[in-house]
Amino acid sequence: MKCCCLAAVLFLVCLVGDSAFAADELVSFNRDIRPILAKNCFACHGPDEGAREAGLRLDTAAGATAGRDGRRALVPGQPSDSELVARVESDDPDVVMPPADSGHELSAEEKTLLRRWISEGGEYKVHWSFTQPMKIELPTVKQDAWPKHAIDHFVLAKLELQKLTPSAQADRYRLIRRVSLDLTGLPPTPEEADAFVADSSDEAFGRVVDRLLASEAYGERWARMWLDLARYADTKGYEKDRHRDVWKFRDWVILALNRDLPYDQFTIEQLAGDLLPDASNEQILATAFHRNTMTNDEGGTDNEEFRVAAVKDRVDTTLQVWMGLTMRCAQCHSHKYDPISHQDYYSLYAIFNQTEDADRSDDVPVLPLPSPEQSVQIAEIEAGIRTLQEQQKETPDTSLEAMIKEQQKKLATVRGSMTKTPIMKELAEGQRRDTRIHQRGNFLDPGDKVEPAVLGLFGSQDADVPVNRLSVARWIVQPENPLTARVMVNRVWARLFGVGLVETEEDFGTQGMIPSHPELLDWLAVEFRENGWSIKKLIRTIVLSATYQQSAVVDAEKLAADPRNILLSRGPRFRLSAETVRDQALAVSGLLTQKVGGPSVMPPQPDGVWKSTYNALKWIDATGPDRYRRALYTYWKRTSPYPAMITFDAGSGEVCQIRRVRTNTPLQALVTLNDPAYVEAAGALAKRMNDVRGPTSEKIRRGFRLALVRPPSAAEASRLLEVYEALSASFENDSGAAEKLVNAANLEKGDAAMIAVANVLLNLDETLMKP
Amino acid sequence: MELPIPLRQKQAVTRRHFFGQTGLGFGALALQSLLASDGKAAAGNYRIPAKAKSIIYLHMAGSPSQLELFEDKPELTKFHGQECPQEYLEGKRFAFIKGTPKMLGPQFKYRKHGETGQTLSELLPGLASIADDVCVIRSMHTEQFNHSPAQLLLQTGNPRLGSPSIGSWVNYGLGSENENLPGFVVLASGGKTPSAGKSLWGSGFLPTVYQGIQCRTDGGDPILYLSNPSGMSRAARRKTLDAIRDLNTFEHQNIGDPETLTRISQYELAFRMQMSVPEVMDIGKEPKHILELYGAQPGHVSEAESAADPRVLYKGNDPTFANNCLLARRLVENGVRFVQLYDWGWDHHGSSPGESVDETLPIKCQQIDRAIAGLIKDLKQRGLFDETLIVWGGEFGRTPMMQNNVHKELKKGFIGRDHHPHAFTMWMAGGGIKPGSYGNTDEIGYYIGENPMSIRDLQATILHQIGIDPHRFSFAYEGLNQRLIGPTEEGRVVKEIIG
Repeated sequence: MKCCCLAAVLFLVCLVGDSAFAADELVSFNRDIRPILAKNCFACHGPDEGAREAGLRLDTAAGATAGRDGRRALVPGQPSDSELVARVESDDPDVVMPPADSGHELSAEEKTLLRRWISEGGEYKVHWSFTQPMKIELPTVKQDAWPKHAIDHFVLAKLELQKLTPSAQADRYRLIRRVSLDLTGLPPTPEEADAFVADSSDEAFGRVVDRLLASEAYGERWARMWLDLARYADTKGYEKDRHRDVWKFRDWVILALNRDLPYDQFTIEQLAGDLLPDASNEQILATAFHRNTMTNDEGGTDNEEFRVAAVKDRVDTTLQVWMGLTMRCAQCHSHKYDPISHQDYYSLYAIFNQTEDADRSDDVPVLPLPSPEQSVQIAEIEAGIRTLQEQQKETPDTSLEAMIKEQQKKLATVRGSMTKTPIMKELAEGQRRDTRIHQRGNFLDPGDKVEPAVLGLFGSQDADVPVNRLSVARWIVQPENPLTARVMVNRVWARLFGVGLVETEEDFGTQGMIPSHPELLDWLAVEFRENGWSIKKLIRTIVLSATYQQSAVVDAEKLAADPRNILLSRGPRFRLSAETVRDQALAVSGLLTQKVGGPSVMPPQPDGVWKSTYNALKWIDATGPDRYRRALYTYWKRTSPYPAMITFDAGSGEVCQIRRVRTNTPLQALVTLNDPAYVEAAGALAKRMNDVRGPTSEKIRRGFRLALVRPPSAAEASRLLEVYEALSASFENDSGAAEKLVNAANLEKGDAAMIAVANVLLNLDETLMKP
Repeated sequence: MELPIPLRQKQAVTRRHFFGQTGLGFGALALQSLLASDGKAAAGNYRIPAKAKSIIYLHMAGSPSQLELFEDKPELTKFHGQECPQEYLEGKRFAFIKGTPKMLGPQFKYRKHGETGQTLSELLPGLASIADDVCVIRSMHTEQFNHSPAQLLLQTGNPRLGSPSIGSWVNYGLGSENENLPGFVVLASGGKTPSAGKSLWGSGFLPTVYQGIQCRTDGGDPILYLSNPSGMSRAARRKTLDAIRDLNTFEHQNIGDPETLTRISQYELAFRMQMSVPEVMDIGKEPKHILELYGAQPGHVSEAESAADPRVLYKGNDPTFANNCLLARRLVENGVRFVQLYDWGWDHHGSSPGESVDETLPIKCQQIDRAIAGLIKDLKQRGLFDETLIVWGGEFGRTPMMQNNVHKELKKGFIGRDHHPHAFTMWMAGGGIKPGSYGNTDEIGYYIGENPMSIRDLQATILHQIGIDPHRFSFAYEGLNQRLIGPTEEGRVVKEIIG
């Protein structure tokens, strides 16, 4: 019997009225009060009993209203009798809270809010994300012609409250470019765009979306998001940072997304595929998710220290990725803000503490898997052996025996050369580890023994199933878990809109930001589960909304009212990811090698970037098709990541990265202007442009359309023609320079001025931004 | 440019306002200056009066032996060659020592120098000539005894990967003084990058704009991709940039996104950097007497830099580190906030050729000693010494025992010491640091005697000197106020070494 402590009690709690605070409205605990208390009070008066001052606890109603020396911090309805009010409003430096040396100070507005909250009853509510999401009735809106979809009702209702209007639909060129980049990480061809523009039927956009979702590029694009979370990299980290064969996990993610493996199953297989009954090789391979933790091969390290670090990383990453909870602080002490105790942490740790891996340099346990060629080879050799064995049975012969032995040897060689991916494997009965609390997080300082358990706050587990990684995975995706669906839909939303409905994607706890559109978030979360956890359906739902399809044009007034587009009064417009910047340049120039999966590749990188200690691995620039693979396949060395992508905010892959922070820097300009990879792309694009017969203006128009999809305006076309002519004139006067530039673009002959124009096209703000 | 909004500043108008400002076309680096002048941009009011404007951090990757350089231990000499007492071995974790090693006395002679009577070994005559300018801390200790985690703890406050480096923190907190140059520059020598790799100058959870930029001095672009492609002259580049600017301006007129204006300004900044960076990086512009002061040789690329095992090729007169010291001065002179030098090759175990305290250490000292003395003298003659904080040291110390896993007996060229986290020496100079000595160790240099100074203390003191309250300076991430000095209050500003 499953019990869902919180969920059941709070089923009826629903968050409404998350509007800007109005004077005649009741104070909302979750929206207005908890942030004040969490920021200013919980560090000393919160869940961490070790840090609690004066025995006072303000994160629970019981704690706040308990009598202490005849006074109560909170007397519901009676602010003047409440010690909390007296303390925060005091002028006496010895009495005032928070204390002056804490660095915290309440504003007059915050003090007023606290007073009002208490006078309105001082009621505590459970933190919003710890309650069940539910679909509420769609809000009514005035401009009822605009919404295409439930999403739009929520967005428009909020806009109308703020006296803002939504934007018109983006023009069709920009729309198809936006959705293609979002869904596949690749731009549409001008021809695909023209077909869409010419198709005026209602289903035209839906058809484009379906085509994109069905393409293999979809899985490649969205896998990258997941690989950031999985801290995927091709090396082991730390000093030696040696190679690790884990690319098959990357390919597993691509395939799983492409076949739209439901998110609950996607979760279970990665966390505990090895524990499933009759687990397939693919399901075992999925568990490499948690073998992406680092291994320290430095001489003279204590393997147990780094095994423990890896297990802690798995606990933290699991909670972060699936439930948006930050656990790291609970390694050392009870969480100061969220109800997760020191003991809770090690109970969960105890579950993950039972795998065979132990910071060994061979990364065992591993799963050897054959390549397609090896599979054929193995089948052939095995068939051969069988034939020989049958012959042997019929007419025993020593030479046959020798042949069989030889074939068996060959088989062993092929098997030995198979790619071995590190995987999770549970220790055998009798070898399982006891877990003790690490006092102050130090594994050398063990405290009380703990039993394995999940966090009871978010629903418990059947008593009759073993507590192991599989039960953790099932607990994460069980309907009573209020966080899992919310966290995932928010993540997908953030990749499409640039900012999550909960901006702090990494933190749905009490220190995280509250959602900008809580009802919308909950609607999407429930819809996601109702749709069988289909990520493709989730994405389709979002991009078919009017909200997503809005134009990104913004005027000064809207910009002032909603500078970061949190209210969604316009379409999303933000810089493409590091990977998409590269992939787009390769695609528009026609260089892109479209091949899914396989070992990681080494596109050109400047000499001398890899100079790591005690590591013989060399970067050898690929020369064939592997030179132009999608960025996702670039070899990723943790201590020396590919420089051009790091500059565009890719992470190092050392630890789980929930979101990338986008920057806009001069070093990025230097990459797309000068990195030989981009110069080569400019060369190839220039060649495509010059392949167009006709006047220069036609060639330039072709290049513009390849890069930006839409046709250029007259002003844009003439400005590009002008720079082409000016550069042509200078290159004519300096044929040596022209030849050098052509060679720099990896061409034997070509039009240097057109290469420069192509370089311009690849560096436009519009090229680098999602339109 | 987009920065994460620490949630606790949800209502912080300053920061929101600051995002809005990006529309006015400020570059990322200029934005940092805005942050700096605001002072409340990061969580809490952390700015305090600064003693130093910039920092030059000289990290000897691998960790030099304090017992051959700073710690004269006659008692250890007395026990030289005897077996190490069990009390120093029981319950201890060593990287390589096995069983019972022999005690190893200091291998070089010591003398006192200057008015402060600084005890320095014969390997550091240059440092001896400026003995009264430095504060030698003989009571450093750390929690980590492997290179990569120890370097990470020292430089990022976290022995695991993924946290921002000191240089990133400082630039996040203070911004850059010169918007045509990066605020955090890294220069490496010794033929390898340090054990923890580029993670040592990564920005962790801070925006990547704060990461250290490794400037290369081995003949390639000083900053990756700084040079135009071959055949693209500066004039031609200007023409393309003018076209980019004009088309971007059309785009802004049509769409109205302030990010476009930021992009325009970043491209202009990139164009200026193409001039300013090579100019500041060109030590060939320095007069002969300055080059000699450091022992620098412009344009010299040592063969050790590209060798598979550079250690066996080390030469005492290799100018790579000296060139980097001179470059460091030019960079701070031009407003770079944090210059980090990593010199690899200080891990003297005595196990393989090129890693002994008796033969390799003297060579490494020659490579750095004159250069460091030159740097301090040069900063002084330019009036920059007081406003530049210089920090020197490794990531941990070395054992008073001889390492015994390969060579059980003393053998010339193979005398070495293992990693020792319990006590080691660093020094600081300039930037408001009081010359002299701080702390000491027991008679054999195993444990700290008086005035211990932890990695947290060191980090707190560095931040304090550059004008940041280390306890208040934080960044909201993963639901915590993340700090360089870690979550606890154990790190303290060591006021005793501040002038």
